[in-house]
Amino acid sequence: MENRMRKAVLILFFFIAAFWQLLFVGAASASQFGPLIHKKDSLYHRIFVYRSGPVATLRFGRQPRVQVQSQVNLNNLRQHMTEYSTLAFCGLLYEPEPERVLVLGLGGGVIPREMRYYFPACEIDVAEIDPDIPPIATEFFGFREDDMLRVHISDGRIFIKKQLRTDPVPKYDLVVLDAFNSDYIPFHLMTKEFLEEVKGVLADDGVVIANVFYTNRLFDAEFKTFLAVFGRCQVFVGDYSTNAMLAAPGPACPTLTVREAVDQAKRLQRKHRFAFNMQTVAKRLHPNAHPDSRAKVLTDDRAPVNWLRTQKTRK
Amino acid sequence: MGQQSSKKAECVKGGKGRGVAIVLIACVCGWFVMELEILGVRVLAPYFGSAVYVVTGSVIGVFLLSISAGYMLGGWLSRRANSQRALGMNLMAAGAWLCAMPFFVEPVCDGIFNAGLDEKWGSLLAALALFGAPTVLLSTVTPTAVRWLTRRASDSGLNAGLVLALSTMASFAGCVVTAFYLVLLSIRLTICSSGVVLVALGGIIVLQAALHRRRSSSSRAEGKTAEQILESRNGSGQEKV
Repeated sequence: MENRMRKAVLILFFFIAAFWQLLFVGAASASQFGPLIHKKDSLYHRIFVYRSGPVATLRFGRQPRVQVQSQVNLNNLRQHMTEYSTLAFCGLLYEPEPERVLVLGLGGGVIPREMRYYFPACEIDVAEIDPDIPPIATEFFGFREDDMLRVHISDGRIFIKKQLRTDPVPKYDLVVLDAFNSDYIPFHLMTKEFLEEVKGVLADDGVVIANVFYTNRLFDAEFKTFLAVFGRCQVFVGDYSTNAMLAAPGPACPTLTVREAVDQAKRLQRKHRFAFNMQTVAKRLHPNAHPDSRAKVLTDDRAPVNWLRTQKTRK
Repeated sequence: MGQQSSKKAECVKGGKGRGVAIVLIACVCGWFVMELEILGVRVLAPYFGSAVYVVTGSVIGVFLLSISAGYMLGGWLSRRANSQRALGMNLMAAGAWLCAMPFFVEPVCDGIFNAGLDEKWGSLLAALALFGAPTVLLSTVTPTAVRWLTRRASDSGLNAGLVLALSTMASFAGCVVTAFYLVLLSIRLTICSSGVVLVALGGIIVLQAALHRRRSSSSRAEGKTAEQILESRNGSGQEKV
């Protein structure tokens, strides 16, 4: 009887320890971003905003594996805290003077905000599925909407479909695909059919940029899908992050060598005086990169994105 | 007691084998309904996005509505003399629908989208147009299964519980296998293959019903317990149960 009691106490202790671990490990790992200052369960995400001094961090979930969506230094909005937000400017190497930009996915609003700052005459549309994100970006991340920078609450694919049905169809010089949920990009924003629709709103001398991760087999499939739709695709690989930018230039846009990219970056740097180093972005170009030949194009019919994401890149 | 025994004799719907078969058919249908529901979210996403309305409102809502309509229809069909034939025909029709579905997804969804319906009502209408009919047809199996298994009124609850429990477990398996593994394959291929399985299953059931009917009429010609066989075939025992 006593033995049984002891066993029961041990089991109970085990469960309490497991629960404690589950509850607090997440919180402890999150502390690297400072204290949690805002939390919201929206229709689509578990939104967590942390603040450490002037640095605000946005995450969709508090587990250690969850990526940082956005990070902003509120004392210096020009400073890029994440590598991907600077890499996203690689589109300017192909189209140095964009007049119309489309960004899918708002997050903390760093990319559209900085585009707005450096190109004040540029019209920027942002499609964001979650209606709770824009108020958070405004309140905690220094984002501001105005006449030239509009946020549309819509699924990115639906927004583009609607644009395609307007007359005349608006043409964007720069399209930035940056729609992420807590895991990755939703599957219907990666397929061949989707990219065909994106192509429909892209100006001939425009460029499509997609923020992706390059350490898994999904990257090869995405790369191959871009090649299947646009015919050409170049990659800018992150130096200290696992982010990469796929850049698919329109038919009237050049394919760049590293030299050409760096020269263009110098011109842009002189003209716009970016707070980040545009030449560093240009040097991240890997002109000879190509996808694994065994990778398959992602389609609406077959897009095993979650599985591919868990598979390491094949040698 | 005596009355109950006579009812038992009247309501015999075949042996144990037939009972097992109908439960298995109910399980197969439960599997395919959930497979279709999960794939349905992916089928609609390219046209109506992955907004919460599409997943929870339209797809899940339409499936629940269709399942309830299927239960009503199945309950009514289970009282008919040719309920086995009707069951087989339903499965064949659902299978044929699934085989054809990949070819009309695009025109239906594009048509609804172009008509100016938004993500909410557009996806609801598209889900109804694409998945309503096969789900109704597949859900007619459950009441028929309960009817076929029930030989005594006092067993009806037990049989209903058994059929619902097993078919729901099959639905669970369909959910897990589809969400974990079948999504890795072509959606079109998966839906078409499910359609082929259903057409084949329905065909076997219809064929078996025809053979049974033939055998019954030859037995009648030989003057063997014709009334009893007829009773069991036309399901008039239902009213007495």
